Amino acid sequence: MSNNTTTATQDLPPKGGYSTIHYERRLPKKGPSGLAMFAMCGGIMAYGWYKVYKGLDERRELDRENAWSRIHLIPMLIAEADRDEYRRKAAAVEREREIMKDVPGWEAGKSVYNGKRYVPDVIANVPLHQQPGFKKD
Amino acid sequence: MAIPGYKHFKSEDWVDPTPPPADLPHVDEVGSSGAPLKSASFFIGSVCQEYNEDFMLCKNEDRDPKHCLAEGRKVTRCAIDVLEKIQANCATEFRTHWQCLDNKNQSFNKCRAPEKEYNACLFKALGWKKNIPDAPANKPQIHERIPLTK
Repeated sequence: MSNNTTTATQDLPPKGGYSTIHYERRLPKKGPSGLAMFAMCGGIMAYGWYKVYKGLDERRELDRENAWSRIHLIPMLIAEADRDEYRRKAAAVEREREIMKDVPGWEAGKSVYNGKRYVPDVIANVPLHQQPGFKKD
Repeated sequence: MAIPGYKHFKSEDWVDPTPPPADLPHVDEVGSSGAPLKSASFFIGSVCQEYNEDFMLCKNEDRDPKHCLAEGRKVTRCAIDVLEKIQANCATEFRTHWQCLDNKNQSFNKCRAPEKEYNACLFKALGWKKNIPDAPANKPQIHERIPLTK
């Protein structure tokens, strides 16, 4: 029996085996991490809100200053207006007395209301308009 | 004189030239325009506090103008007194400040530089200090802060 069969050379791994396959991604690292970006955004917003509240505080204090400036002047302005109103009212009562002197039992300057509470005049007491025979042209 | 467009509405028709009743004690009116009053307001408020509060309490009793004439005269005299004292001691600073207020829409915020000199002069001459009531005590008051915006 002749042995003319060739010995088959089987494809085998190299001695020592194949080197390991690097299958994981090896991308260069880009930019800060998500947590860092989140923290940065939070920081920017916190600074912004801090400035907003500073601005609101300043505006509130400016409004307070303006309001108190007016409050301090109110008594003086009311006092002046009161004197003028009193003077005009007294003059109007005098004119009324003069105009109604022929009517018996007429009380000049009597309130039209049946009470003691002060009610300011709704219609301005104007000397010219109260003259007898006055005609507005 | 009439407002343009209101020729039928003459302001002279509404003036009552009658003098006040003779039994009323005479008092000068303040006769100041808005900007000087605003400039002096905090000093009127602090110096005349007693008279002002007395007057407002009186007004609270009765709104009738003749009820509080005596208190009102004190208020007016005190305000005139404050303005005259300011005028006598710090005339230039006062003028600079109220003219600034006049030009800047009566906004305190736009006139901090003249106000600083004005307040310093009044504190030196009369010992008056601007104080805004009800402002938070843990922070400097608004006129002593550095403004956030120019």
